[in-house]
Amino acid sequence: MKITIEIYLLLKSAWADFKRDKVRTGLTSLGIMIGVLSVVLLIAFGLGLKNYIRDQFESLGANLVMILPGAGFSGGGNPASLTGGAEFDEKDVSSINKLPNIKYVVPVFIHSSTVSSANEEKKVNVMGANEDMFSLLNLKVHAGELWTKSDVEKKAKVAVLGYTIAENLYKNPSEALGKTIRIEGLRLKVVGVSKKIGNQERDEAAFIPYTTTFGSINTKKTFFAIYLGIANQDLVGEVKESVETTLLRRYDKDKFSVTEQSEILSSINQIFAILNLFLIAIGSISLIVGGVGIMNIMYATVTERTREVGIRRALGATRKDILLHFLTESTMLSLFGGIVGLVLASAIVLFIRNWFPVAVNVFAVILAIGVSSAIGIFFGVFPAKKAADLSPMEAIRYE
Amino acid sequence: MKTTSSIISLKNLWKEYVLGDETVFTALRDINLDIHEGEFSAIIGPSGSGKSTLMHMIGLLDKPTRGEIIVNGNDVAKLDDNQTSTLRNSYVGFVFQQFNLLNKLTIKENILLPATYSRRKLDFDPDERAEMLMEKFGILSKKDSFPNKISGGQQQRVAVARALIMKPQLVLADEPTGNLDRKTGTEIINLFEDLNKSEGITVVMVTHEMEIAERTGRQIKILDGQVVSDKK
Repeated sequence: MKITIEIYLLLKSAWADFKRDKVRTGLTSLGIMIGVLSVVLLIAFGLGLKNYIRDQFESLGANLVMILPGAGFSGGGNPASLTGGAEFDEKDVSSINKLPNIKYVVPVFIHSSTVSSANEEKKVNVMGANEDMFSLLNLKVHAGELWTKSDVEKKAKVAVLGYTIAENLYKNPSEALGKTIRIEGLRLKVVGVSKKIGNQERDEAAFIPYTTTFGSINTKKTFFAIYLGIANQDLVGEVKESVETTLLRRYDKDKFSVTEQSEILSSINQIFAILNLFLIAIGSISLIVGGVGIMNIMYATVTERTREVGIRRALGATRKDILLHFLTESTMLSLFGGIVGLVLASAIVLFIRNWFPVAVNVFAVILAIGVSSAIGIFFGVFPAKKAADLSPMEAIRYE
Repeated sequence: MKTTSSIISLKNLWKEYVLGDETVFTALRDINLDIHEGEFSAIIGPSGSGKSTLMHMIGLLDKPTRGEIIVNGNDVAKLDDNQTSTLRNSYVGFVFQQFNLLNKLTIKENILLPATYSRRKLDFDPDERAEMLMEKFGILSKKDSFPNKISGGQQQRVAVARALIMKPQLVLADEPTGNLDRKTGTEIINLFEDLNKSEGITVVMVTHEMEIAERTGRQIKILDGQVVSDKK
C-alpha cells in the first residue's frame, strides 16, 4: 500500500515536471526516440531482407538442387566466391542429364541488358534457359503462351516477357504479343507475357530459349548455374553425390558447388543473424548518444532543482528517496522516448510492408523497451546520485 | 535549571568550515543549549552570527564538527543518513522564510509530503489530519490550488500545516515572517503563539527582529557563534 502510493507520487511528480516543460521533455526523449526508431527499423529491414531472399529461394520449390560456380554455400564456404568459379556449358548439361532420378535439368544463363521495342528502350534481365524453367519458377502466362521444347531445339527467336517489362514497353502488357523486340542485335518475337508475381527480378525479365542466346548474347555459350528438379525428396542426397562425381571430372572441387535448398536457407539464416547483430550495433550507437543526452539534461535538472532536493530532505527524504526520485524521471523520459520511437517505427514498417516484407518482431519490441529503460536507469544514476549526495543544508539555501 | 525534559540538548557544540584558502571559519563555538518541551523560544542575532547554522543543527540538517546533539537520548552525530532522515521526518517540522513549498504539488499534497517519507506506522490518518489542519488554518478551500496561486500569508500557513502533519516534537521556524508584510507576519506569529499555548507545541524561531522575539518566552541571543544571553 505504502509502496504503491510512493510509486504513484514519484510518477506523478515526474509527470508534473514533464508537463511543465514539454519542449525540453520532448527534446530529451528525442534522442532515445531516434535511437529506438533506428534500431527497430534496422532490425525490421534486416528481417525483411532475409524474408525476401528466403522467399526467392523457397519459390523455386522443394526438391531443388542448384549447381553454382565457386565453393558456394556448401561446406561453410564463402558465398562471396559465387563468382569466379566454373563456367558450365552444354557438355555439363548433357552429362548430368544422363544421371538417374533427375526430373529436369535447367541450365540458366543470366545477363543484364537493354531491350527495345519500336519506341522504348528498357533495362531487362535476360534469362536464357530451357522450357522446364517455367515449371521450376512456377511461371504462368498472362497472355499468349510459353515457348516449348521444340523452340529450344529450333533456336527459335522467341521471348516470354515478364509482366512489368511488357508493361514498361507497351503500356498494356497484352499488346506486347506478336511484337518484335531487340536485345543486343537479336530480334525476338514476343510469344507470351507472364503473370505478375511480385518479384522484380522476374517481372522485369525476358525469358529466351538458351540456344537462341548462344553466339549472340551468350557468346561463350556458358551458364551461370544449372538447376535440377529431383523426382523425390529422399533422393536429393544421392543425386547430389552423383552430380558432384560427374562434375569433378571436369572441375576442381572449389570451382563449383552442388547445393540443396535447405542448405541455402540455413546459410541465409546464418548470414542474416550476423547482419542483424551488426545493424543492432549501429543502431545502439544512437541509443547511447540519446542516453548521454538524457544524462546531460538530468544533470541540469538536478542543479535547477537543488532547492527542491533540500526541501524534500528537510521533510525527511533519505538519500535513497532522492535517488529514486531522479531515477524515476530519467527512466520515464527514456521509456517515453522508447515507446514513441517504437510506435513510429511500427507505423513506418506497416507503411513499407506494402512493397517490402519488413517485419517488427517481439524481440525488437522487447529490445526497444528494455534498452530504453536500461539507458534511463544507467544514464540517470550519475545525476541522481549527485542529487542524493547534496547536503540538505546547502541544498535548501541554494538560490 | 531544568524544569521539564529536554527535547534536544546541544553539548559543547562546534561547527567549523574550512574556507578555500584553508583558513578555518568557526560558525559555532562551544554551544551548550537545551530546548525543553512546550517552550516557545527565539534564536536572535544579526546576519552572520551563526543563528542559521545553529538552527540547521537543531533541525538535524547539518552535523557538528565537534560536540553532541542529543535527541531522545541518542547522539545524532552517530546516526547514518537513513536514521537521521527518519528522525528529521518525525521529530521536527520546518517553516522557512521562503515558504519552500513545491509549486508542482497542490496545497494538500504539499502538506502530505512529509507523510510520504515516513517509515513508521502512523497512529493517525495523514489525510484526515491534513484536512483538519487546513480547516484550522483557513486554507481548506485552497487544498487543490497550487502554491503560486495563493497569497504569501496563505503559503506560510500551508508551510506551518506541513510542519505539523507528522505531529513533531519541535517546530523550527527560520525567519518565518521575513517574506511577509507586517500584518500577515503578525498573523503567523499569532498562529505560532496559539499553537504553543493551546496545544503545547514546542516552537523554536530564528529571527533578527527583536519585536518578534519578544513575543516568545525565551530569547537566545547569538553573536559570533556563541550564546551571549539566554533570557527566559
